Amino acid sequence: MNTFNNNSMKWRYLKQHIFFGLVRASALIITLALGGIIFYIVYNGIGAISWDFITKPPTDSMTKGGIMPAILGTIYLTVGAIAIGLPLGIASAIYLTEYAKQGRIVRFIKVGINCLAGVPSVVFGLFGLGFFVILMKFGSSILAGSLTLGFLILPTIIGASEEALKSVPQTFREASLSLGVSKWQTTFRIVLPNALPGILTGSILGIGRAAGETAPIMFTAAAYFTSKLPGSIFDEVMALPYHIYVLATAGTNIEATRPIQFGTVLVLVAVVLGIDLVAIVIRSYMRRNKRW
Amino acid sequence: METNIIIKLNNVNFYYGQSRALTDISMTFGKNKVTALIGPSGCGKSTLLRLLNRMNDLIDGTRVEGEILFEDKNIYAPDIDPVEIRRKIGMVFQKPNPFPKTIYNNIAYGPKLTGVNAGDLDTLVEQSLKQSVLWNEVKDILNKSAMNLSGGQQQRLCIARALAMKPDILLMDEPTSALDPISTAKIEDLIEELKKDYTIIIVTHNMQQAARISDETAFFYIGNLVEYNKTEKIFTKPDVKQTEDYITGRFG
Repeated sequence: MNTFNNNSMKWRYLKQHIFFGLVRASALIITLALGGIIFYIVYNGIGAISWDFITKPPTDSMTKGGIMPAILGTIYLTVGAIAIGLPLGIASAIYLTEYAKQGRIVRFIKVGINCLAGVPSVVFGLFGLGFFVILMKFGSSILAGSLTLGFLILPTIIGASEEALKSVPQTFREASLSLGVSKWQTTFRIVLPNALPGILTGSILGIGRAAGETAPIMFTAAAYFTSKLPGSIFDEVMALPYHIYVLATAGTNIEATRPIQFGTVLVLVAVVLGIDLVAIVIRSYMRRNKRW
Repeated sequence: METNIIIKLNNVNFYYGQSRALTDISMTFGKNKVTALIGPSGCGKSTLLRLLNRMNDLIDGTRVEGEILFEDKNIYAPDIDPVEIRRKIGMVFQKPNPFPKTIYNNIAYGPKLTGVNAGDLDTLVEQSLKQSVLWNEVKDILNKSAMNLSGGQQQRLCIARALAMKPDILLMDEPTSALDPISTAKIEDLIEELKKDYTIIIVTHNMQQAARISDETAFFYIGNLVEYNKTEKIFTKPDVKQTEDYITGRFG
């Protein structure tokens, strides 16, 4: 009996070890893949990075000089996308969770939003071209590109906001309403402030995506080369993802631009991480006195 | 309406979707009285309480029939704003639910946003906390988060928060069921004190509590008002057998 027990215990421990091993290996593979990609980019790109590279425009058919206009363009487009996507997305989520009567129509809208999330980004690009660039006559511009990217990240922001709003305890709403505070005020003074950290967490994903997408901006905002920096939101801009795409596929001398391509990729990754970092800092600041 | 009556229900029916939660309730609540609503779980006592400040409006698919008169006006009349009703009829919930704000801002929140009693907030905060007998415990930590208080303190803070709106009526939905005996005793003393200035309607599962603190007691069973009388009478010589069975612990 004793030996049987020992064996069965051993077998159970073994199983446990195998299982933990597998889980650990999965985590390790993901970390290694991520580390590998980052290492590859940094290793190949770091040589191109210099003060001139990030502060000067390109020269000599893109084979020399910097990428400053593309960095600036990506920041403009991303900030524009946030300025459009975040308020619109939060407002939609507030309507869906706080105001709309739960039923068939709301379900239909939610299905629609989920479908939107699955639409390939090139389709957003073509929509932006047809609607903002041509029909609304914005031309290929920061405005058209920001709107297109804003719509692209809308489903992510709505989804994250809905979850965050739902996680605010119902008792907070009841407490506020029972004091004779209106629903509007309750939403803005109690529900939204408590949901904001969650909303930002989810929105970070969308924001990173907005900065890195190529297809939505290639028809709506991005230029192969601009001789001067944009003066208004109706001007075209260079943008990092599009710059990489152009250098890697359409340049006059693709091989000669290789170091610049890697350098640009490194900068793009850094910009995306930078945007994420800002959001994380804001979030942790807002979370400080939240506990329930 | 007679001067000593503050709320009057006439043939009130209430439905969650298809199912009826309250059947033909007619009753009155006395001014500056403590009225206890008792009965087994699911008897409709909490539902009735939440009808009085229109908190059931928040639940989709509910329906009210009959009328509930407060100051001679039907609070379910189409031209009545439920927000106005809730300013005059405050509520304390089963679980203490302070906002994740400072103690001071928990109290100041309602007056600030509604503009009611918003004159001198410092005085109002102090006054409300003194009324709920919490002032001495928190006067030095008004700018600390309310979430750090104990459960009993949080519940007294919630009472103070409701009092800051200077309501006519205070509805209490099992306010001590989540609290320890000492905190419960403090709240019961507080209710005794508050009834000089307020009308209190309290739902409770605890029959000793109803007997201790209330002037009138209403016994509900499956959505019906079975018996409603002076508390003394209900707990000594109830008219209905069902009431007697319940208060003596034979069911419920």
